[in-house]
Parts: sequence; structure tokens; C-alpha cells
Amino acid sequence: MPTPASPSASASSSHRRASSDLMVRIGSADSEIKLRALRELKNQIIGNRTKKLFFLKLGAVPAVSCALAEAQAQAQAQAQADLLVQSAAALGSFACGFDAGVRAVLDSGAFANLVALLSFPDDKVVDAGARSLRMIYQSKLAPKYDFLQEENMEFLLSLLNSENETVTGLGASIIIHSCETVVEQKALCHAGVLKKLTSLLEGSPSQKDASLESLATIIKKNPEAASKFVSESRRALSSVTDLSKDRNPRTRLLACMCLIVIRNTSPCYLQDIGIKTKLVYLLLELLDDPGQVGEEASFAFSSLLAQKEDLQKLAFEAKAIDKLHNHLQKHLLQPRRYQGILLALAELCSKLESCRSRFLSLEVLNLVTDALTHEVADVRTAACICLRSVSRSIKSLSAGHFMKEMIVIPLVRLLHDPSTSVQVAALGAVSNIVVDFTTAKSTFLQCGGLKLLVQLSKSMDPILRLNALWGLRNLMFLADNTCKEGIFLELTAPSLSSLICDPEPFVQEQALALVRNLVDGCLDSIEYVFAEDGIILDAIGRQLQSASKAEIGIQGMYVLSNIASGNEFHKEAVMHQLLLQVNNGTQAFILKFLQSNDSQLRTAAIWTIINLTFPSSPGASSRVVKLRNAGIVSQIKTMVNDPCVDVKLRVRTALGQFMTIGDSST
Amino acid sequence: MSLFWIVIRQLAEIEAMATSKKVITKEEWEKKLNDVKIRKEDMNKLVMNFLVTEGYVDAAEKFRLESGTEPDIDLATITDRMAVKKAVQSGNVEDAIEKVNDLNPEILDTNPQLFFHLQQQRLIELIRNGKVEEALEFAQEELAPRGEENQSFLEELEKTVALLAFEDVSNCPVGELLDISQRLKTASEVNAAILTSQSHEKDPKLPSLLKMLIWAQNQLDEKAAYPRINDLSTAKLEDPAV
Repeated sequence: MPTPASPSASASSSHRRASSDLMVRIGSADSEIKLRALRELKNQIIGNRTKKLFFLKLGAVPAVSCALAEAQAQAQAQAQADLLVQSAAALGSFACGFDAGVRAVLDSGAFANLVALLSFPDDKVVDAGARSLRMIYQSKLAPKYDFLQEENMEFLLSLLNSENETVTGLGASIIIHSCETVVEQKALCHAGVLKKLTSLLEGSPSQKDASLESLATIIKKNPEAASKFVSESRRALSSVTDLSKDRNPRTRLLACMCLIVIRNTSPCYLQDIGIKTKLVYLLLELLDDPGQVGEEASFAFSSLLAQKEDLQKLAFEAKAIDKLHNHLQKHLLQPRRYQGILLALAELCSKLESCRSRFLSLEVLNLVTDALTHEVADVRTAACICLRSVSRSIKSLSAGHFMKEMIVIPLVRLLHDPSTSVQVAALGAVSNIVVDFTTAKSTFLQCGGLKLLVQLSKSMDPILRLNALWGLRNLMFLADNTCKEGIFLELTAPSLSSLICDPEPFVQEQALALVRNLVDGCLDSIEYVFAEDGIILDAIGRQLQSASKAEIGIQGMYVLSNIASGNEFHKEAVMHQLLLQVNNGTQAFILKFLQSNDSQLRTAAIWTIINLTFPSSPGASSRVVKLRNAGIVSQIKTMVNDPCVDVKLRVRTALGQFMTIGDSST
Repeated sequence: MSLFWIVIRQLAEIEAMATSKKVITKEEWEKKLNDVKIRKEDMNKLVMNFLVTEGYVDAAEKFRLESGTEPDIDLATITDRMAVKKAVQSGNVEDAIEKVNDLNPEILDTNPQLFFHLQQQRLIELIRNGKVEEALEFAQEELAPRGEENQSFLEELEKTVALLAFEDVSNCPVGELLDISQRLKTASEVNAAILTSQSHEKDPKLPSLLKMLIWAQNQLDEKAAYPRINDLSTAKLEDPAV
């Protein structure tokens, strides 16, 4: 706003003088002056973040905290009550939605004094104390309340049983803030808190809200608590369902969230189509709320849809994509709302092709692409997650909907975003998009995407390494030889072999999967694993010998299998890896894999043997002899009736080849 | 009468018979109404709810004494609420803010939009009183930071500051901000927020009941002719139009 500079400077200096004068008056010995100063401070900071910060820096919090402590020792009742109310209110305001303020209030030692206010006879004092404590408990910084101590549980129950609404609200806030573990949830159930909260569902509007949120906290991911809540009183569940029709939108939202928590915790409840449909429509309607309720509704909607195809289908039928699209088109979206809508779209498009094609036909993609460059990291992350979800569509990938500069360039830029969560989400989207079946993957290479992926594959953060390799693996998928060569030259053999030996098993698996795609296809591409004296192949052999999980074995065996499909030199190199341990006297990994419980691993292992013993290749018969000597042939013979059809079929192919070779050699 | 008109009238009668609506006479209707028992206490509660929500504290007190109906809220809080409302309506916004904060400090701390509108009203009053310097300083010190936090506040702020740019504010595009209706709008926003904070519905129940009555009559109109209430202030049953 263009305002002249000089008056503002003088204004703020006069403002500063007045403020330090106010600080002096708060410290005054005259309780009349002190009271007026406290009230003035309170009126200045309420609703005003800038002022809160300003007075915080002036040291106002310790001063008010000191006034509170002094007032508790004050003899004259009315003067005492006024001072207590004003100082508690000021502290509460510092703590309201302002973490730095919460920290300052806690550091000033005011917490215990505020708790002490709860046992004052004057209702106004109790109210002021409870309200300020509730503000503190709404912050993550509040001290954790230990429910497992008996006297604490009793105190909590006394709060919940109070006649004073602010005090019951405080009790609920404590539960919402501090109940995290199953043990704590159980302790609360055991103490009869569920029952108390159920009765508060019939209370005043604020008690309803507080109770719904606390119930959700206690029931979340705890099937025992869910069934206790549902079975304890026949009215309990229907009270919550009724509240989803309340007049107050916030109450409706909290009731929906409570129902979603119950359903996600124990899928046996709330299964009928009626309630499912109702939840979908309710939440879509709540999205229209212009305030916080509308923001939170999108997150609740996501948790309703998560992993549930039936609900995603209902949402699709309720035109959820169109509605979310309309919201996305609005001007000046608040970041949290923006994030929530993108995540809801991501959830909707995570499984159903019908949702994805509606998404694309409405051209929501353009709006999501805009969000990739949003200034808030959470919005960028959500946009990436949404892109990843939509790009699961093989149909649209084949149509080349995503390999466009408009999408790829901002996405690649996010690969070096300062926030790791954005990077990981961007890698997730990149991984899907680079699969691209049609056009050359050149768009991505041209804008420097490859270099960044390779850089990230060397990151210190294992999650980044994992996702970067995932991207490279998909980029390698069905790529032409020029593209493969480009990737390989950028990645280099030494770093690829060190990624195969990464300390994290999930990184090892991705690295092997990447090599598997690298050596898939023509003979030339097999040569890559022989670069630099075959360090990659050696790394694979070592990793397979010590493989900590089946997935590593599977990817590794498919690499060997792909190599074994090559020429004689390639086949012999694989033989060398397979029999290395036999010569050392330890059990060969191939035998271990053939005996594995994992049918996919058995399949991968048997494929390698099939490729090694293909009868038309010149060295086949000598390889069969070696395999027989190592006990591998006899192992395969025991597998003719393998429970897995796929394995059984391959075993028969292998045995057939052994026979053919045996016949011709004799 | 020409044959033509006779035919027309017959046609009309046939049509009326085809869609023949049920006719309910006034006697029948009143008999049915008498069968519906509405407890006097419920009616009284409805009246009390209206008086309390609208802030008629004296009337509520008298009604309490006369009917023995207990209000669902402490009558003293109505006085406080009305004082806040009145302060905004008469342009003493700062006074109103202090009063709200005394009532419940949480209201303005957790309701940024309301807080902004009150501060905006303060700015409007400064401009109305020709305190240009003070208005600019206030806009910069108090309102500009809120605009940074929220884009839509910034737009409203820009509109308000635009008042300073016009010589004749009564005739400028943003002149409506100086209108008395702007004060009333802000006042009713504060009133609603206070009611909500007191766990009280922000609208009285009576008007929505009347709305339901109108809706129900419209529904019934399609199916029957009955003694309708056309004048809500007298609630007189009209004779069914046959």
C-alpha cells in the first residue's frame, strides 16, 4: 500500500514509547494502575498477531505472569479477582494460535498458577483460567498430560464433570492434545471417559464439539475402544450420526470425522450404503463453508476415501471431481484449503480410471500444474501427490498427456526444492510420468531432469535415494538404447554398484530393479553390467548372497535372468556368480531361492536356469553338468508339483530342456 | 349466452373435476387445529428465545416474571451483548472491542474475520470524522498486517482506504461503507459471534418456524383448498377459495 514513509516512522516511535510506558505500568505497585494496564495490554494483543510478537519481544509475558502470581497472594477479594481475570486473559491471548506465545507463557512458569485458578470460588476466575489453559492445550507445545497417573485421571474426570462449560472444554482439549498411545486410550476407556463424553454429546453446542473430537481421539486406530463405544450404549453411535445433521457446520464436520474414525478403525461398523452416501454428500457440502470448517472438510473427505474403492466410486457418482474442480478455480485459495482439495483429488484418482478420465476431461490438470509453483511447500507437495495419482492411468500415459513441458519443467524444478517432502512427492510424480509409452523421454532429459534424479540418488536421505532410483528405474523402462546410454553415463557404473550395496534394503531393491530394466531388451544393453571389470555384476552377486528380504532376491534374479538371455559370454558370467559360493563351500543363493516360500522368488530363480540352459546355445550341456554337480538340477526335480502354477510350468520347461540336452549329449 | 361460452364453462368444470382438490371448510379445519395440543410452556419458551436472542432484556425480564419461563441464558449477558451492539451502532468501535474482550477474550482471538471487520469499522469512523492522519496511521499500524495475512482482507482494506481519495464520499463508488447499514452489518456480526460463544443459536427460532409455515402452506396449496393464513401478523384463517 503506498503510504508516505515519514509519518509511519514517527507513528511507530510514538507507538514504541507508549508501549514501554505500558510495560512500566504493568509492573506498578498500585493495583488500580496495574489492572488498567493489564486490560489495556489484553485489548491490544487480542486478534493481533503483530502486537503479540511485539509485546513478546518487550518481555510482556514474564511481566504478566508475575502479576498473576502476585495477585494470587492479594488479600482483597474483588481486586484479586479482577487482576487474576485480566492477567489470565492476557496470557491466554498470547497463547492463542501463536506458538512463540505458548512457549513464552510456559517458560514464564505461569502454567501452574493458571491451573490453581481452577479451584477458585469465583466463577469468572475459573473461567479465565480454564480458557487460557485450553488455549495452551490447543498448541503442540503444551506439556504432555500423563493420564496413567491416578491423580491426573481423577483431575481430568473432575474437569469433565464440571458444571462450567469452559472447564469441560478444557478437559476435552487435554484429551485431544495428549492422548496418543493405545495404552492411554485404554486408560481413558477404563476410567469411564467414553461414557462421560457420550453424555456430553447431549450437552451445549460447545460440549458437543469437544466431545466429538475427544471421542475420535480415543477411538482412533483402537478397535477395542470403538466396539466399547458402540456397545456401551445403544444411543452412542446414533447420537453421533444425529449430530452429522446438526445446524452448526462445525458440529456436522466433527460428527463426520468421528464416524470416519470409527469406520476406519473397525470396518464392521457403518457399512450400509445409506450412511456411506450420506457422509460423501455431507462432506462435499461442508467444503462450501468459507472458513476453517471448509478447509478441514477436504481432509476429512480424503480420510473417508483413502484406500476404499467403494467410497471413491460413490464420490465419483456424487460428482466430487466436478465440485473439487469448482473449488480449485476460486480466487485466492487459502493454502490449507488448496492443499486439502488437491489431496482429496489425489485420493479420488488413486484407483479408479473413471475418476482420472473425468479429471482430465475437466482439464483439472492445468490447475494442478499451477499449484506446482505455489509459494507454500504443503501445496506444492499436494500438487505432486495429485499428479502422481492421476498419472497412474496407463491410458493417459500412452496418450502422452503428462510429458509436456508445462508439467515437466516445474516438476523437475521441484526436484531441488528446499523441502524434502516436496522433493519426495515430486519424485513420486516424476516416476510415474517418465514411464511414458509413446514419445521419446526426451522432454524430461532436455530439461535437466536426468541430472537431478542422479544427483538425488546420491542424497544422504535414504527416502530421497529410494524415490530418485524409482524415477530412474521407470525412466529406464522400455527406453531406447540412446536413452539408456544417457542414463548410464550420467549414473556411472561405480555409483550404481554402490547403490546396489546401499545400507538400506529398500534402496538395494530399487537399484536392482533399475539394473533389471537396464539390461532388458537387446544384447547391447546387457553389456552395461560388464563395464569397469563387471563391478555391477559382482555387486549383484554379493547382494544376492546376503539378501535380507525376498524382494531383493526377486529383482536380483531377474537381472541375472535378463543377462542369461544374452550370448555365451553373458551366460557364463551368470554361471560364475551362481556357482561362486559352491566353490567356497557355502550354500549357493540359487538353491536358497529355489527353496524359498515366496513363489515369485522361485519363479525368478527358475527363469534364470531356463535362460542358461536354452538347448540351442553351444555351452548349454556343459552348464547343465555344472548345475547338476552343484545339486541344482536335483533341487529343480523336486519341484515338479510346486503349489504355484507359474513355478510348476517353468520347472517343467527347465526339466524338458535338461532332458533334450542330456539326450543330445549322450 | 352463446354456445361457445357454455362449452368453455363446461370444459373448465371438467378440468376442475379432473384435478379436483380436496376442500376443507373452516369448521373442519378449526376442529383439526383444536386436536393439536401445543403446550403453553413451549410457546412461552419460543417467545423467550426470541426476546433473548434479539436482546430485548427488559421485555425478557418482565416476561420471565409474568410467565415463569426461565431464559436459557443469564439475562445479564444480554445487557452486555446489547451494550456491545449499541457501541458499534453508534460508532464507538474501540469501546465495543474492549467490551467484547471483557465478555470473552476468545471471540476476537479466534475469529480473524470479525476482528478485521471491527478494525475496518474503526477506520471508517476515523475517515467519517475527517481524521485523515490518524486514519492513515491506523490503517498502516493495525490493518495492513491483517491484509498481509489474508488476501481478501487486503482487498477490503484497499476499498476502505479508497474513501480517502474522494472529495465527495457520498458520491463515490465505495461510499456505501460510510452508510449506516455498514455499522448495522458489523454490529450484527458481533452480536452473532457473542451468541455463538455463549452456546446460543445466533438466530431466534420464531422466524424459521414462520418460514416453515409458509413452506407447508405452499405444499398444501397443490393438494387442497383450506383456510389459509395470508397475514402472518394477524394469523387470521381465510375462507378456502373454492
